[in-house]
Amino acid sequence: MAQVHFEDVKEGDEIPQLKKNCSTQQLVLWAAGSGDFYQIHYDKDFAQATGLKGLIVHGALKNAFLGQLLHDWIGEAGQVRRFGCSYRGMDEPNQDILCRGVVTKKYSEGGKHFVELDVWTEKPDGKKTSPGTALVTLPSKN
Amino acid sequence: MADQVYFENLSVGQELPPIKIAPDKQQLVKFAAGSGDFNPLHFDENFPLLKPMGLTENIVHGRFKYAQVGRLVFALAGYKGRVKKFGVSYRGMDMLNKEITAGGVVTAKRQEGGENLVDLDVWTMDVEGKKTTPGTATVALPSRR
Amino acid sequence: MADEFEITDEMRAQIGVDSEPWTYEVTTTSVRMYARGIGTEDPIHYDVDFAKSQGFRSIVAPLGYLGTPVYLPGQNDPTFGFPRRAGGPRLNIPMKGLLDGGTETEYLDVICAGDVLVETSHLADLKLRDSARGKMLFITNESVYKNKETGQVVAKQRLTSIHY
Repeated sequence: MAQVHFEDVKEGDEIPQLKKNCSTQQLVLWAAGSGDFYQIHYDKDFAQATGLKGLIVHGALKNAFLGQLLHDWIGEAGQVRRFGCSYRGMDEPNQDILCRGVVTKKYSEGGKHFVELDVWTEKPDGKKTSPGTALVTLPSKN
Repeated sequence: MADQVYFENLSVGQELPPIKIAPDKQQLVKFAAGSGDFNPLHFDENFPLLKPMGLTENIVHGRFKYAQVGRLVFALAGYKGRVKKFGVSYRGMDMLNKEITAGGVVTAKRQEGGENLVDLDVWTMDVEGKKTTPGTATVALPSRR
Repeated sequence: MADEFEITDEMRAQIGVDSEPWTYEVTTTSVRMYARGIGTEDPIHYDVDFAKSQGFRSIVAPLGYLGTPVYLPGQNDPTFGFPRRAGGPRLNIPMKGLLDGGTETEYLDVICAGDVLVETSHLADLKLRDSARGKMLFITNESVYKNKETGQVVAKQRLTSIHY
């Protein structure tokens, strides 16, 4: 992808979407990578014993997906300063998780060019499961 | 960690204290993480290959059983001994949540290349007493002399 | 057809042909994860200070763990992690079934966290057996692991897979 610049962006723009769909293998890979071996993410009996319908995707993995969404957009010259989300809704394996972001504000300060965004993950029915925000810097064309 | 075993302490025919483990799904997921083998055969009860293999439960990684034999001979060697070689064949499947016992017996003692070597038959056994993972090992032990 | 499969001279000629080398990393994090994965609690695999007090360079790799291969998307198998690389044997195996046949490790030195190993593998043996399932092909590969810094061979591993 070509490097995005501060001047290319305006408030209200949606950034390119990132679609994810976690296999059970992906959830186990995340357990390995994160060190979070909580069984609700791969042991269905365990998950159901805690009152869940079935396996659910780790909240932190969805947070990581949003990180990837931002990383992919800002390019090599951009920087993510801060990003976070709340785990409001549950996502399950083998179902699309759509990562999206919309620019809410842009401003320059101290020689740097900041862009604020709303970011979130969304289920196929449009329900927002992990709403959050992000702050990034982008290079300027000047 | 147990006391160091010395070459003189062992006799041919002596059995090693067994190591038992009944791996649950979390254990197999941790093994996937540690070993890099993320085959869903070992943690996904809906994995399509289970039925054609005649399985209703996920099975334990062969290499997990090999590692239990590894623990057994590592404990024998202690920090002053060295495991020279250990190998197994995977002859049977072991199921999730079922106890696996790693065991071994001394088959020979000898000296070679300035080392005091102990040869062993080693195995993991399932709850029915079947040795699903038979093999051999050679361990070098320190001498009291 | 799997039932008509025979081992050819061309396949046998690949015995002993070395693959390209691949780097395997033994780190404190990876040693601890492997140790947790096999259910051992021996501090020699977890506590660096303790391991050093016992005369080791760092925490000791549990037996059977020879490091984790460097993972590069597209170059490693995504499920098993092994490198698909140039060189080494190319066998066209028609059988769809795959089982682990056996594992043997030989140690020439102790492997500790901090070690970087370079591994090459080659086809060591091919055997065809008849069974109730039809023809079963036993493939044994041997991997040789050298310490990258010293160039010394530290371990060898023989892996047998059964194709049926």
